[in-house]
Amino acid sequence: MDPTIQINEIVDVVPIFRGRASEINVCTPWKMKYGIHEIVFTKLGMRHPTAKGKRMIHVFDVSDGVNDYRLELDAERLIWTLVSMVEGSS
Amino acid sequence: MYGINKEQALIMHIDLNSAFATAEQQAHPSLRGKPMGVTNRISKECCVIAASYEAKAIGIKVGMRRTEAMAICPEFVLLETDPPKYNAVYQKLIKIMLTYSDKIKMKSIDEGIIDFHGMEHILNGRTLEDIGYEIKQRVKTEIGDWMKINVGIGTNRFLAKEAAGWHKPDGLDKIDHTNLIKYYKDRELTDLSGIAERYGARLNAYGIMTAIDFLEAPEYMLKKQVFKSINGTYWYQRLRGYEMDDHETSLGMVGRQWVVKDPSDKDEYLLPCLSFLCETTGMKLRYREVEARGVAVWVSYQNGEYWHQRRMHKSTFYTNQEIYRRALELFNKRPYGIVRTIGIYTYTLTPSQVSQLSMFDDITKVRNITKAVDEINDFYGTFTVYAATSLEGKKIIKQKIPFGGTEYFELLLKS
Repeated sequence: MDPTIQINEIVDVVPIFRGRASEINVCTPWKMKYGIHEIVFTKLGMRHPTAKGKRMIHVFDVSDGVNDYRLELDAERLIWTLVSMVEGSS
Repeated sequence: MYGINKEQALIMHIDLNSAFATAEQQAHPSLRGKPMGVTNRISKECCVIAASYEAKAIGIKVGMRRTEAMAICPEFVLLETDPPKYNAVYQKLIKIMLTYSDKIKMKSIDEGIIDFHGMEHILNGRTLEDIGYEIKQRVKTEIGDWMKINVGIGTNRFLAKEAAGWHKPDGLDKIDHTNLIKYYKDRELTDLSGIAERYGARLNAYGIMTAIDFLEAPEYMLKKQVFKSINGTYWYQRLRGYEMDDHETSLGMVGRQWVVKDPSDKDEYLLPCLSFLCETTGMKLRYREVEARGVAVWVSYQNGEYWHQRRMHKSTFYTNQEIYRRALELFNKRPYGIVRTIGIYTYTLTPSQVSQLSMFDDITKVRNITKAVDEINDFYGTFTVYAATSLEGKKIIKQKIPFGGTEYFELLLKS
């Protein structure tokens, strides 16, 4: 079945901006504070742009090695939203 | 003996393996190596529209219902489609392909052609196989490490596509005059791209049972007896590696069909959905800058029956309301029954005349209001403003991924 858990909460994120990197890795979320948990991301699955109306949104699919998280950066308001997560099996 | 094309193979076909499923596995590392698939909208009777290789390996096929897939593998994961994600993959693939030749043609969202004719000088002594391996590596580096492509090289589009499907997944093959006969000897008729059951049966009726029989069939027989048209000659040439498919197809019809989420005979459920389908048809018409004269509606019923009606009008139309009004007239004539699928399409398309001045006030008003609504929807997202008749339909129907072509992808992404 669909293992996606919808969250849609604004979260604190520490990103890394790399000066010299391939296009895919220029900006990657490094860690996120969600509730009382600090989650460190170990893998960037994919980054892709999308739009809400004319507003540019960057979608980051990242993983902490166990679970997958979908983070969205609103490029206009500079807000990170944890949209959903998929629980993996450790 | 066979008159095979002995030119250098300069057509490359690139095919993303299980594109949507692989893109989801790329985005979700926890799903890699597991049987999974994607569907347009998850419901009890939804279909798998793309399956991962792991799912295909255990017998889960594209088109299978969710319940059937779950019966094969209770751990099967099904996600809803994410068009912007697939568009990102599509755009990156185009970007890579364009670095090799400006003569590229995307056949659909997950496959495309690079034509290297006239580009021999940029190969710098490298073979197309070298380029193919380089593209494979670039796809992994620039799109994602889980992404895999099949590369096929041939003297025409047909053979290049066949070569791309020879060793799936992650294959790279070339078919030219040196190995073409060997390739056909190992193939059934319906293994060939473009030969499905119906054509297969027609060929069988003339004693053509295998791919090599097809190659050996005389041109006269294919043209005059089997296909009874110029298609016979086209197939004769195509099989031998001559290019028959390098042409643009003209736009014949624009429409939308939908498998009813909960099959029903109730107008209060079906009409808002029909209205919504007409809205998307109108959007597509205006996006392609055409107007239609004909409208057709078809319905398939729960009991397997099918109904279809079409009507040609004197004047052209392009607004959502006009399409809905004309489609509704036809839809109301349908025989009673529980509706399983609704389809609407417009035909006899002509270039849009919206930019021409009209002598009549009411026509100008309709143009202006349509333009204004389109501009609002373009700015704030599709279906920000839409007809009240589509209100309930919009809640039920999801915009779907265009499989056949990529013409409406931009439109879909705005929704």
